[in-house]
Amino acid sequence: MSENCLKSQSINKNDGNKWNYKQTIIKGTKSGLKTTWELTKIIVPVYFVVTFLKHTFLLEFISNVFKPFMNIIGLPGEAAIVLVLGNMVNIYAAIGAIATLTLTPKEITIIAVMLSFSHSLFMETAVAKKTGINVLIILTIRLSLALASGLILNILL
Amino acid sequence: MNIIDILKEGAMGSTSSVLNMAKIIIPLMIVIQVLKDLDILSKLARKMKPLSKFLGISEDSTFPLIIGLILGLSYGAGVIIDSAKEDHLSKKDLYLVIIFLVACHSVFEDTLLFVAIGANGWFLLSVRLIVALVLTSITARYIDKILSKKRIHL
Repeated sequence: MSENCLKSQSINKNDGNKWNYKQTIIKGTKSGLKTTWELTKIIVPVYFVVTFLKHTFLLEFISNVFKPFMNIIGLPGEAAIVLVLGNMVNIYAAIGAIATLTLTPKEITIIAVMLSFSHSLFMETAVAKKTGINVLIILTIRLSLALASGLILNILL
Repeated sequence: MNIIDILKEGAMGSTSSVLNMAKIIIPLMIVIQVLKDLDILSKLARKMKPLSKFLGISEDSTFPLIIGLILGLSYGAGVIIDSAKEDHLSKKDLYLVIIFLVACHSVFEDTLLFVAIGANGWFLLSVRLIVALVLTSITARYIDKILSKKRIHL
């Protein structure tokens, strides 16, 4: 997720020979460990920072600032941190913040749907741009889907 | 609450979160490697051809669509760029596939990560898929008009 290179070349074509399953398991484990390391590098610092905020007046301050807007989408004010991290950094960062805060299953589901429509905006928009598409359209679609899903789910759930 | 307690809470909490994620990510990556090495995704793409009519995309576009849906946006974009070079994708297909993929990509990884922290996975997955399908098929109906008007510089 965090590599911004285009990875199509790494998709292996099977030549129709016998499948070397050991090789597959080793490669899969390696890429699993690599992804785990990528998310560790992000989740750990985020967890420490948000824990620190939680035990100072800062989280309450942030929460109060964002409360009016966040209440429209059924989320407490401090969840603004999660949405900002998810959109500016990536889903791993958002997960680090969710794990630190105390949120209900409903709130976590709303956040999950919103963030799955719109996340890692800098990185993914750069990737989408390489295909030659108008990024403004893409950004508008993603942010509107996220906002609309938040509004609707708050009413439905 | 003093600084030692905060550090302790941070260390313990972040370690357990990372371990939780690792339990999901490592098996998932092995499964994905199996899909890649056995070339299952291109077989799946061939099976998906009837769906291309509903989405309004060409049959060749199902391959980048499946790749992006399962492996992620960067893989999908890589395949799109390759196919665009070989002239398999029209501008219309390009837009429709990307619109589908920005709404819904790397479905396994994203869904499972959110499930690990307590979200409803089936709900999340269905909302994403349905929204992506509906959005793409609606856009397909109007995209010719939009592209010919060229009011938006595409």
